[in-house]
Amino acid sequence: MPNRVAIVGIGQTYHTTRRPDVNQPEMVAEAVRAALADAQLSIKDIEAVFSANMETFEGIFLPDHGMAAEIGAFNKPGFKVNTGGTTGGSAVVEGFYMVSSGLYDVAMVVGFEKQDCGDTTAAISAAATPMWGKGAATGAIGEFAKQALSYMETSGATEEHAAMVRLKADRNACRNPYAHLKLGLKSVDEVLQSPYLVWPLRILDFCPQSCGACVLILASENKAKKITKKPVWIADVEVVHQEPFRAGVFGDPTGKETYTQHVACERLYKRNGITNPRRDIDTAEIYEPSNWEEMNLYEHFHFCEKGEGWKLIEKGITEIEGEFPVNCSGGVLATNPIGATPIIRVAEAALQIRGDAGEHQATRDIKTALASALGGPNWTILTLLKRSL
Amino acid sequence: MAKASPKKKAKEKEPEYIHVKFDMPRRYNWSTGRHLGHFYAQAKENKKIVGNRCPQCKEIWVPPTLVCPKCKVEMGWDLVELPQTGTVYQYTYLVLPLWDPHYGEKWANPYPSATILLDNGVFYRHRLEDTDKDKLKVGTRVQAVWKEDYEERGEGPADILYFKEIGK
Ligand SMILES: [Zn+2]
Repeated sequence: MPNRVAIVGIGQTYHTTRRPDVNQPEMVAEAVRAALADAQLSIKDIEAVFSANMETFEGIFLPDHGMAAEIGAFNKPGFKVNTGGTTGGSAVVEGFYMVSSGLYDVAMVVGFEKQDCGDTTAAISAAATPMWGKGAATGAIGEFAKQALSYMETSGATEEHAAMVRLKADRNACRNPYAHLKLGLKSVDEVLQSPYLVWPLRILDFCPQSCGACVLILASENKAKKITKKPVWIADVEVVHQEPFRAGVFGDPTGKETYTQHVACERLYKRNGITNPRRDIDTAEIYEPSNWEEMNLYEHFHFCEKGEGWKLIEKGITEIEGEFPVNCSGGVLATNPIGATPIIRVAEAALQIRGDAGEHQATRDIKTALASALGGPNWTILTLLKRSL
Repeated sequence: MAKASPKKKAKEKEPEYIHVKFDMPRRYNWSTGRHLGHFYAQAKENKKIVGNRCPQCKEIWVPPTLVCPKCKVEMGWDLVELPQTGTVYQYTYLVLPLWDPHYGEKWANPYPSATILLDNGVFYRHRLEDTDKDKLKVGTRVQAVWKEDYEERGEGPADILYFKEIGK
């Protein structure tokens, strides 16, 4: 039986397009200090540090080596992970494994990206495999665009529904002191005036490029109860990989495609006795790179029947005041510092369980929350959090 | 608590970035290997799209691969030539120019690209012929158009210039 693991400290920077006032280690240190203050711990209490960053995006290798002092890793164990969009989720899972195994009692998970220092798209150009794909795809964004088209054609969702997803994200982000894009959007029409980027995706259908960091402190059961009155338990995690050359064709008529979201949530739900996710889980912080993907993911995670994700949006079910709030933080649509992004999902879900989300606290009481990560050729990581085990 | 997002200031602080210019060409030579290399060779020599068939589940993988991801068995060399005709299942086109994620060149729009359901039921992702974007439709019948000059081929998937609309 593995040891129980709780989140006992949460910290993040504010997220924004440019941070010329700090360098990367200084920016990350802000989130480390915030997490330590939240847990009322000293860096000396942290036994191991696990970091998460897509290092080539800033063009500097081994960024974790360059900030060993700032993240308190000097003379300590731990290492960096780098798994594409899921990077931060991998680091949370890594920290969970390490504490649940009994190797460490208190560990810190540090995710960051400072995208004003690099050019993410150019970095992907420089480092993606050149041997497969030239002329074959317009990258991740092209895949999300094609999925949006299929979603529109098969589900009956319209561009207005996608615009409603952005409005929800924006309303929530405006209540979150750390969110990046806070546009104050008022109407569907305003979103529909946003120009197309890759048809049928508009600029406001997609997530921004952010600078920011997010830190979690994890502790074993005995320690957690001493550190905080409000531990948030990591009840379970699930990681599902996908083969490299196919990313899951939406609505696949051949029946041969694998959706990692299905595999991941079916396993996680089964192990945790979740038979009706919308009843058994109180909120979700999902990794939705586009408005359309959010509706798509509602279906993949079985929050509703197939082809009905847009109805949850239309009926306001996933609003902050709704029956099943999703992304009360504003989500990835508002904030995307890549290596930190999935850690923010877990952090925000944990804040909801603690009741510490402030102005973006869900109206209903949150006892159980699901956080997801998505990246690479459609990889999925899920983290299930609970107030009590 | 970390600082929250600053309120909009009247005057922004001058950015303090340094810019480093690189003029070095990238010196990498990648191996296509035996399996993907076979795809490259068949494209260059014979203008063929090839995959291999799993001995266990019989699914065809393109490009050919060493191990079936589903069955975890060695795929072997049951090579399959794929049809070069198919149906557009999903498509998109660029409105703002984007970078080619593999070669770093800027794509001119509309640069239409598609997920094509080849006539043997295998999905294949490739670009479509530049056309009036309003003519793009799900269900359009298309066919591969290759680089005719042998010397220009050798870029694997990019040996196919695009998929072009054909009659029903
Ligand atoms: Zn197989």
